[in-house]
Amino acid sequence: MKSVSQPSQGPLDPRSIIGFYHVNLRYRDQTALENVSFSISNGEFVCITGPSGAGKSSVLRLITMDLFPTKGQVIVRGMVSTKMKRSKIPMLRREIGFVFQDFRLLDDRSVYDNVAFAQLVVGVPGHQIKRNVTRLLTQVGLWNKRDRLPQQLSGGEQQRVAIARAMVNSPKILLADEPTGNLDPVTAQEIIDLLFRINDSGTCVIFSTHDHEIVKTFGQRVMVVKDGTLFSDEQRRVPDRDSAPRLTDKMYNPEGT
Amino acid sequence: MLRMTQIEYLARESVAGFHRRKLTTGVTILIMSSALMVLALFVLVALNLGLALERARSNVDVRVFLVEGLDEQRMAGLQPTFVSIPGVSTARFISKDMALEELRLELGDDADVLDTLEENPLPASYHLELSSGYRSAAKVDQVASDLELWPEVEDVVFSRAWVGALESWNEIFRYGSFAVSLIVLIAAVFVISNTVRLTMASSRRLIEIQMLVGATDSFIRTPFLMEGMLHGLLAGMLAMGILGFGQRLLAAKLAGLEFFATSQIVGFILFCVVLGLLGSLTAIGKYLRLRRVS
Repeated sequence: MKSVSQPSQGPLDPRSIIGFYHVNLRYRDQTALENVSFSISNGEFVCITGPSGAGKSSVLRLITMDLFPTKGQVIVRGMVSTKMKRSKIPMLRREIGFVFQDFRLLDDRSVYDNVAFAQLVVGVPGHQIKRNVTRLLTQVGLWNKRDRLPQQLSGGEQQRVAIARAMVNSPKILLADEPTGNLDPVTAQEIIDLLFRINDSGTCVIFSTHDHEIVKTFGQRVMVVKDGTLFSDEQRRVPDRDSAPRLTDKMYNPEGT
Repeated sequence: MLRMTQIEYLARESVAGFHRRKLTTGVTILIMSSALMVLALFVLVALNLGLALERARSNVDVRVFLVEGLDEQRMAGLQPTFVSIPGVSTARFISKDMALEELRLELGDDADVLDTLEENPLPASYHLELSSGYRSAAKVDQVASDLELWPEVEDVVFSRAWVGALESWNEIFRYGSFAVSLIVLIAAVFVISNTVRLTMASSRRLIEIQMLVGATDSFIRTPFLMEGMLHGLLAGMLAMGILGFGQRLLAAKLAGLEFFATSQIVGFILFCVVLGLLGSLTAIGKYLRLRRVS
């Protein structure tokens, strides 16, 4: 059993690693988010759910400061969106790992080089790169496929490479935008297990999904985003993962028919 | 500080565009070097016109003939007055006797005709040399017309007709070549900018991931800046190579015309590198201003 930190009480809570404070976001004329406030503590495992286009991705992109709120404030690891200098954004990004539904690997280089790339561009010394990449690829179980190109891997394997790349710089936060969206249930299960393992080692994991099955089974803290607002934010019982149901226990039926 | 692994990476990425699209790269360099060659040709013509003008100007001299009947001492005494005129660097007095002696030398074997003269018909004169800033047609005119007002002066003779012609040619050419050069420069920057933009478009995923994992802007930009500068370097070298080759082929017919000095060739190529940099900067500007990941 793993001990789980309690959700923090507000954006100014010293334990909070991410704080949204009355955030409004507008794209051109459309409101993407309206008055969204929440905070997330160090080491939490949060599931953001809601229909497509509800604003899940916007929330994640606000955290990486890829987007900035039209009104309100986003505070990530003490960095405040309204006072953020453009030149400081790379430093923030080094503390956040990001995984996408479509993996976004570099097709022209090997698995090893894809992971090493993340270390290379931030200036990790050569001998450390080798050590870190080896460790990460071993953890995600792809060390023996390190010389393959991404196209030679299955979807689940590609997502594991993407996770290894996201984690190789030892970020404090891992964001996963629909990480299981392109995967079959067995593989999705593997990816979620991997996310839990990452969370066990102390990294705050936030993943978005519109898949009810996943939310029902794995949600610890579930935030529902609907029409650009935070519809609900509930802390569920901490699931005992050894006895928890698995996606593969029954016929997986994402349409719910 | 960049690490060795990063420098290696940047060097590799800088030439990646060259490898990936050999044809585009080749065409870009060809177009750019043709444009630069036109530019260099204009510079070359301007250079030669300028030299011709300089040579013509250095030959400009003014002869001031003095009125008859001044005594020798008075005439010699004018020397400091002439030198004090702004623009006159030296004034050499040529007495009636000296003028006759010069004529005798010029006539050579026929000099004996001079012996039939009863008196020396040649006037005394001053030979003025102008300082370099005063050798333009307008300045010579001004000095001459000032001198004509002097009571001691009979006549002022100077050779400025072809200085005037060269000057007006130089003027026309300067404006013409400025306009053409401007167009050529814009074209060259545009061509490079387009090629770099192609590389950036094909590296979209790469750029996006670099932004995502926290590469700095300058790190992301560097390979593209290098690519543009490399294009400029190669195009500049090619343009100079072709021009140099052409000059060597036509050397006999172009005798007397100057080609670029080594320092000018190096300067021109460096200029092309700067053009390349400018091209990539315009390509990158728009692309990286928005720090969007997806």
